[in-house]
Amino acid sequence: MTLKVLAVDDSKTIRKIVSKAFSTYDCEVLEAENGIEGLSTASREKPDLIVLDITMPVMNGVEMLGKLKGQPDLKDIPVIMLTAESGKENVMQIVKMGVRDYMVKPFKGEQLIERVMKILTLQPKAAAAASPDSVSSPYFSIVDDIQIVTLPEKSDRATLIEIEGDFNQSLKTMAGAGCGKLILDSRKVKEINMLVIKFVLSVVQNCQKTKIHLRIVGSAALGNELKGFQETSGFSVNTSVEEAKATF
Amino acid sequence: MTDINKLDLKGFCTNSTRSVFHTMLSMEVSPVEANPSMELSGSKIVGCVSFTGEVTGSICVHVSKQFARVMTASMLGMELDEVEDDEEIQDVVGEVSNMVGGDMKSKLCDSGFPCVLSIPSVTSGSDFKIESKGWMRHEKIAFQQQDQLSIVEVFIKSVV
Repeated sequence: MTLKVLAVDDSKTIRKIVSKAFSTYDCEVLEAENGIEGLSTASREKPDLIVLDITMPVMNGVEMLGKLKGQPDLKDIPVIMLTAESGKENVMQIVKMGVRDYMVKPFKGEQLIERVMKILTLQPKAAAAASPDSVSSPYFSIVDDIQIVTLPEKSDRATLIEIEGDFNQSLKTMAGAGCGKLILDSRKVKEINMLVIKFVLSVVQNCQKTKIHLRIVGSAALGNELKGFQETSGFSVNTSVEEAKATF
Repeated sequence: MTDINKLDLKGFCTNSTRSVFHTMLSMEVSPVEANPSMELSGSKIVGCVSFTGEVTGSICVHVSKQFARVMTASMLGMELDEVEDDEEIQDVVGEVSNMVGGDMKSKLCDSGFPCVLSIPSVTSGSDFKIESKGWMRHEKIAFQQQDQLSIVEVFIKSVV
């Protein structure tokens, strides 16, 4: 069942970041830019979760929360406050009003999803949920029961975010299907910059968490960069997929 | 209540600015020496938030128009050439000032100066400067990110 998430924030930027965070899950993100619009949308749509800012024009988040808690049909909708304000008194006041969680900006989309997972069960989008090889992405393939993720030459931020979303789905389905081997092939990447390094580190951490056996294929330059990070200091970078396969 | 003159405004601002740029923009900014008359030249965008209560004041984040585009692309996960909308750029600068200001407001509240935060306002144009008088404290901190400079200013005074 598609979950409905209502993002109430006067900043379009924040609403976009929230929407993007949920984009790989079976969720519909509704948006409102102040408390009045938020209440109206909540009454009409009965969302499964509300992500609520505090400082907004017309009606702020605290006022909206108070009104929400006063309406029998809306009071049980879980609310996560997402705000730039973290003062102790502020937090205490909000917590007493019955919010489920409180997140302080700056934040990352993944951090929001982690908090949401404590409240709701998010399902990856149906298209990707069937089996490991159903990840419909040009960067994913399966050879000899090994999931291979090939980074493209132009691995910019948008591409890496897309691949990371697919990768996270793939991990879940791999674990479910008992497919425990993954090769990350970075040989085509033109420039090994911090974005790529961060992506590799994220893959390493996620594979460790899910007990997936990971091998990395790439240049000596990537190998040298990875030696500088605690998570990957002991990692050997293979020069070809065949060489990596042989090490499993 | 702490003496307003003892508040480490520079430290508060530096930490929150670095944190916002790191978390929201995946950018590392480093504080650099700033003199009181330092200004950005050319086309720029300034995002400001105010706080009012037992202290009153504001925080302004100054960035060049060019850097604001880079920030927008980074925050929204877009390519630079996909950023076309001025409204989008202004919203990003406003939100950065909101986060830096929100952190300052929280620090002030926790130091015994309860206050509330305004929504951000954003001004853009060329060859203008913001002058604000009558404050008890004024700090101006410059940050470098590669060849781009941004300036964060904080003005406060106690009203009790």
